[in-house]
Amino acid sequence: MKLLIEAIGFGIATGAVIALGAVGFSVQFGISNVLNITYGSMMTLAAFVGYAFLQLNVNVWIVMAITSAVIGVASVVFNRILLEPLKRRGTSFVGIIIATVSAAIVLQYAIVVFVGATAHSFGEQSGRTLTVLDLVFTTSQVIIICTTVALMVGFHLLLTRTKIGRAMRATSTNRTVARACGIRTERIIDFTWLLSGAMCGAAGVALAITTVSFDFTLGSTFLIYMIAAAVLGGIGQPYGAMVGGLVVGIASQVAGAYWSPAYQDVIAFVILIIMLLVRPRGLFSAGAVTRRLANT
Amino acid sequence: MLTLGSSSANGAFQSYILGSRLPIVVALLAAMVVSGVLGCVVGVTGLKRLRQDYQAMIMLVVSIMATTVIGADQAIVNGNAGLSLIPNPLASLNGSARSWGYVALVAVVCVVAYAFLRRFTRGPLGRSLRAMRDDEDAAVAIGKNVVAMRLMVQGVGGAYAGLSGALLAGFIGGWSPSSWQYVETLALLTAIIVGGIGNDGGVLLGTVIVPVLILQGVQFLPQISGHPGLVEDFGWMILGLLTIAFIFVRSQGLVPERRSGSRPPGSRDLDAPAFAPVPVPVPVPVPVPVPARVPVPVPVAAPVPARVPRVSARVLDRTPPVPAEGVQGEDILVVRDLVRNFGGVRAVDGATFAVRRGSITGLIGPNGAGKSTVLGIVSGFIPASSGSVRFEGTEVTDVAAYRRARRGLVRTFQLPHEFGRLTTIENLLAAVPRQRGETAMSVLAGTRYWRAQERELTERAEQLLEMFAMGEKAGDLARELSGGQKRMLEVMRALMVEPKLLLLDEPMAGLSPMLSERLERVCTEMRAGGLSILFVEHELGAVERLCDHVVVMAQGKVLSQGSMADLRANKEVQDAYIVG
Amino acid sequence: MPTSSAERTGGGGSALATRGLVAGYGDVVVVHGVDLDVAEGRLVTVVGPNGAGKSTLLKAILGLSRVMDGHVVLDGDDVTGQPLELLARRGIGYVPQVDDVFETLRVSENLEMGGYLLDKSERAARVDEVLEIFPALKPKMRRYLGTMSGGERKMTAVARALMLAPRVLVLDEPTAGLSPALTRVVLEEQARALASHGKAVLLVEQKAHAALEISDWAYVLVRGAVAKSAPAREVLADPDMAEIFLGAAVRDGGVK
Repeated sequence: MKLLIEAIGFGIATGAVIALGAVGFSVQFGISNVLNITYGSMMTLAAFVGYAFLQLNVNVWIVMAITSAVIGVASVVFNRILLEPLKRRGTSFVGIIIATVSAAIVLQYAIVVFVGATAHSFGEQSGRTLTVLDLVFTTSQVIIICTTVALMVGFHLLLTRTKIGRAMRATSTNRTVARACGIRTERIIDFTWLLSGAMCGAAGVALAITTVSFDFTLGSTFLIYMIAAAVLGGIGQPYGAMVGGLVVGIASQVAGAYWSPAYQDVIAFVILIIMLLVRPRGLFSAGAVTRRLANT
Repeated sequence: MLTLGSSSANGAFQSYILGSRLPIVVALLAAMVVSGVLGCVVGVTGLKRLRQDYQAMIMLVVSIMATTVIGADQAIVNGNAGLSLIPNPLASLNGSARSWGYVALVAVVCVVAYAFLRRFTRGPLGRSLRAMRDDEDAAVAIGKNVVAMRLMVQGVGGAYAGLSGALLAGFIGGWSPSSWQYVETLALLTAIIVGGIGNDGGVLLGTVIVPVLILQGVQFLPQISGHPGLVEDFGWMILGLLTIAFIFVRSQGLVPERRSGSRPPGSRDLDAPAFAPVPVPVPVPVPVPVPARVPVPVPVAAPVPARVPRVSARVLDRTPPVPAEGVQGEDILVVRDLVRNFGGVRAVDGATFAVRRGSITGLIGPNGAGKSTVLGIVSGFIPASSGSVRFEGTEVTDVAAYRRARRGLVRTFQLPHEFGRLTTIENLLAAVPRQRGETAMSVLAGTRYWRAQERELTERAEQLLEMFAMGEKAGDLARELSGGQKRMLEVMRALMVEPKLLLLDEPMAGLSPMLSERLERVCTEMRAGGLSILFVEHELGAVERLCDHVVVMAQGKVLSQGSMADLRANKEVQDAYIVG
Repeated sequence: MPTSSAERTGGGGSALATRGLVAGYGDVVVVHGVDLDVAEGRLVTVVGPNGAGKSTLLKAILGLSRVMDGHVVLDGDDVTGQPLELLARRGIGYVPQVDDVFETLRVSENLEMGGYLLDKSERAARVDEVLEIFPALKPKMRRYLGTMSGGERKMTAVARALMLAPRVLVLDEPTAGLSPALTRVVLEEQARALASHGKAVLLVEQKAHAALEISDWAYVLVRGAVAKSAPAREVLADPDMAEIFLGAAVRDGGVK
């Protein structure tokens, strides 16, 4: 029983980090219609950028904010110089995925070239521990969980309640008509990448804080959890990604505790497959089901 | 379709089988079977009709996961330590003779595999698979079993990947999960991109150039002191950059695909990814996935089924499609109490009507009346919430859409669903059911088996094109046609399926007066030949001229029915239309 | 029978015009040197057989297909190749032939997006005005477009385009899929009324007869070139018109 509670506690903390990454991934995929595999390597980059700032004795939470901004801008640049030109040329969906896989590997090995393949660590950042209903959290975990929830709510309100959020959804569904409405879709797309990139940066740093040590494979191994969470929650649904992240986090930690840590990935994977079989549009996708009906 | 996932999963699993000391041929075959089955399992996740991006995602994830799973499972394959000392299949030879012997073996296997693959990809079977790739809804509408087709693509793809993995494992004499990673997947993708998607020759070239020149080439660069492995890291970066550069500059690859026109069968070229199974015998794992073409399980039929409605350009002398199966005048389609809810909205609310055999029945009504939904339910594309659909006296309410199409219940779409990357004439040819070239036999027996039928069908398709004044467009890619031409193609393609009851969803919208007139004439003549038509249309002039019987819907219900003249006089109908 | 620009605009200046417009996709030329004028208060219709390049012409005007030569002029300014969002801000409204709505948004959100450039109170008022024109949409404001029928989509699309009260309206087959009653509403009450209220309306329509009856001027486009440019009534009454139209269609369709 104690093992289970410990695992659940750790699962919630892990789930928050997954959710943080998954929201950015999900929104990026949902709005720009690009399955961006480079997202994982961007998280790795975030961890190392954060590491660099940390060496300058900057507070770790300020590091997280700065890194978010850096990765947000980097994502915009990445989209502008690589993905938008490809889209303009009419490159197929699969072609663009291959480009992002390639970019992910270039970035990953560029990191190796600069910092080497050795493991790095953010050191002890956990702070005091808190106990909530038998679940034990460190201060840093609590901050990460709160940040995640706040960003999630903010994102959801942004997409559903604000004009720019609706313009993001409109641009995603039909870019030509969006332009006919006078929406500067290029800016909307930039904004989308800026926000989702910032989430990616925050998640990268959060991940680096919560893991003991990390190397250049940090993000690419984590990508599977985020994809699973994003699909579980429904692509483009911030709340969905949060719930998805939580489920994936807890399930994988519990399985890891009872079975073998090596099977954590397997659980994420099994969840993904089951979701795709049972409800491919995710748990929270009431409005989006309609796309297919329109074709019949 | 990407079969990456199965490739790596299988590249791993088959090696395990190799380890169990079986004779080489048995081991290779076993590897193929296991991998093929695995490919199918992966394919099951695609049974739900998902967007292409979801499918690609699954494939990628599966490939990463498979490595992890195998790496974790100590009991089965000894974990990351892998299997070592797999006996070399040619152990009796020694030294360099063994190496060269193995190279020769690989070469022979490759040639055989390649020849087999070409049989798959060329001809009607490949065409149907490309059609499915372009538009699955339309493929279902012309009676293709897309689930079975996709599963078999996965199965054969897996089998090829398994074969290549087995050859590789046999060569390096051992295997561990780490010998296949996500970067190797990139090497494979690069090879395909550099060589040119859709050209098996190009991929062959790519698989030689990329691993040999790039990955092996960097080994000969001087090592930079203090940074062991730096050169390899640069190697991967170069590979990534090369791939991106190729996608940018020459996305068609070194050997671009050619456009296939209405050339005689046999000289056809394909633009589907046709990856060649070429495991290059270097210590870089390059198992190659094969989105291969697989036979659709349709019975081998006589070259031209006797009851096929044939169209000729001058006279539409169709042999009536109803020799013994039915008498003129009975109901071919009976729809009873049909209901369909979308969320809280009742799009169809208890519709009941029938279509007489050999008649043209119009289905009209204001916008949003539920006409297209009824058509979707009748054709099996939208499940009914309740109610029944009977076709030729048989209950078909729960019959899959593609089966209904095969039975002769064929629909068109309101918005054109063309197979964009097929030519106009290929769009028509793909629609013909029970083609010889689509069967397993065609893969074994080769072109000779189906050439005669193909020629006959081509002639029929050409006549149809002439009838609709689109002969000149036969060799054009369907996606390049104008909106109106795509609509005509939609109707022509449905006619190629040899329907008994044709469901037309606003075929006149967007057609020029001349084409509308032609379409009307064709409909009348087809009716004379015994075809029944259910015709959703707003153009009341056409409805009046064509339809024997008209059903009026409003707000999901059948408001009234009768001849157009009766309906015009009906106050209720007028109101419904004006309100709409 | 070449006509002067002044004749084509009924004496006034052109709100929207093209001069020698050559356009297409990639290397394929679809539109060969088209001169076209739409003046304020005029309804101009482009008719022609399928595949004549009508949609491509519109897309070239709107910066959506490749302009290889020639000019697009809006209110006297050269706007050739300008992006659609800027044209929209300058007062061009556009309804594409297909993919004309935001499928994953509600009807209300579609209209709101249509009024993206308006401020909140203006937008709400404009939504009410537009709904007066399409009362059938009123009870369906909460529905997602993906679940709606072809006609309802078209209504939403036209309503969306009207949200910005554009001065120049470009409609690519706005009546495709509409019932006869709605076709009449869209052509007579919408397109015609908009022109009568001083807007410049450029219409591409397959329902040639219905469209020509309400138009001021007509261009018959065949194989990407203007085969006839005349007052709509003249084209309609022209006994040769059917033959020009159908004959051209036959050639165009490729009967050898």
